[in-house]
Amino acid sequence: MVIVYQLIVLFILGITIWTALDEEDRYLQATAALVAIPLALRLLMIK
Amino acid sequence: MSGMKAAMKIKRIHGIVMLAVAGVVTVVVALDFLAMRQPLPIFPGPGVTEVRPLSAYFPAIRGSRGDTEVYFLQGQDPGGTVLVLGGVHPNEASGHVAAVILVEKAAVQAGRLIVIPRANGSGFTHSDPQEATPQEFGIPTPSGVRRFRYGSRSTSPMDQWPDPDIYLHYPSGQTLSGNQTRNLNRAFPGRPDGNFTEQVAYAITEIVRREKVDLLIDLHEASPEYPVINAIVAHERAMPLAVETVLGLELRDIKIGLEPSPQNLHGLTHREIGDHTQALAVLMETANPAQGRLRGKTSEELILTGKDRMYINAYGAKRLYVDFDEKGHPLAGRVCRHLAGIDEFLKAFSAATPGRAVVLRSLPQPENIRDQGIGAFLN
Repeated sequence: MVIVYQLIVLFILGITIWTALDEEDRYLQATAALVAIPLALRLLMIK
Repeated sequence: MSGMKAAMKIKRIHGIVMLAVAGVVTVVVALDFLAMRQPLPIFPGPGVTEVRPLSAYFPAIRGSRGDTEVYFLQGQDPGGTVLVLGGVHPNEASGHVAAVILVEKAAVQAGRLIVIPRANGSGFTHSDPQEATPQEFGIPTPSGVRRFRYGSRSTSPMDQWPDPDIYLHYPSGQTLSGNQTRNLNRAFPGRPDGNFTEQVAYAITEIVRREKVDLLIDLHEASPEYPVINAIVAHERAMPLAVETVLGLELRDIKIGLEPSPQNLHGLTHREIGDHTQALAVLMETANPAQGRLRGKTSEELILTGKDRMYINAYGAKRLYVDFDEKGHPLAGRVCRHLAGIDEFLKAFSAATPGRAVVLRSLPQPENIRDQGIGAFLN
């Protein structure tokens, strides 16, 4: 079950990072970078 | 065309810089969260004769964050056994601190005292989301500030996940909200093939059975707007003992209520340990405004002083079950209540069953802790 959860989080984190790099609006780029923080903490099973 | 390429390059650079900043923030907060997994030290006093891991009673939890220290204080004279639990709910500070003081300062003359200060070890490794509670609080001592963890009511989701929609308690079949599945005080008596929290509960129940515990005292706190507050909750077999204890506390000018353990509310120590083992089981509650929904700023100061203007207003509006004025409910006073309660329980139990007496040789006078502060009574 946990590995399924981690795969889902990894997928969303990938999309988020891609958005941070590809988005033209700097505000949305910054938003994506902020969203990546809790996703990374969850992927690593830290929080 | 070259202008478009340059714009894309700048966009990428912006994205990389923002992700790099996010990466730095991630590392900083990750280190902060990971630090919570390191237990803060407890310094056993001369009264402690043995320390065992909880996993000695259920090896499946060995090496997990549910494994925790079990302190034994054996007296020279024969007698019974009393088990004290602190930190079943790691956000209820007075129970944890009172148990630590027992480990560091108490000594036993007759019988045996067993103390588990961090009963839910996993709950001490994280804090509740969206509650803005501090991860630690500090108590000034003569040798500096001593830090204590302020954890979560529940087992960490890092150790037990996902929560079901409905929690089905074993063995009663009682249904509760799904998040209660990580509440140690809804998991007793536990089971060896259950979830993480049930396994920790099972290990504690095994201590009660194997060590022939006569009396279990579980130390808790609750918010001032909770009806069962500044009270003892007793299993029906422990009720005569609890009555004696209430009288003893009243003679010490400590007002305390007495509640019967509800027979249809399962998973709690006072119900399940009383039903499934030979031990008498009781629970004590003090008032912690840091847990309440009506609180103002949540800080170390609130945990230590128990002073909160919002609660003074709530008391004025008759919304509380305890008195609340500008003096608040300081941690030292809450710890005093727990230690005085333990003292009175031991006296009442020893008087009622002399052959299984548990007599303390030394214990800091609880009223002195209330008046002089906790720091002077820690190692």
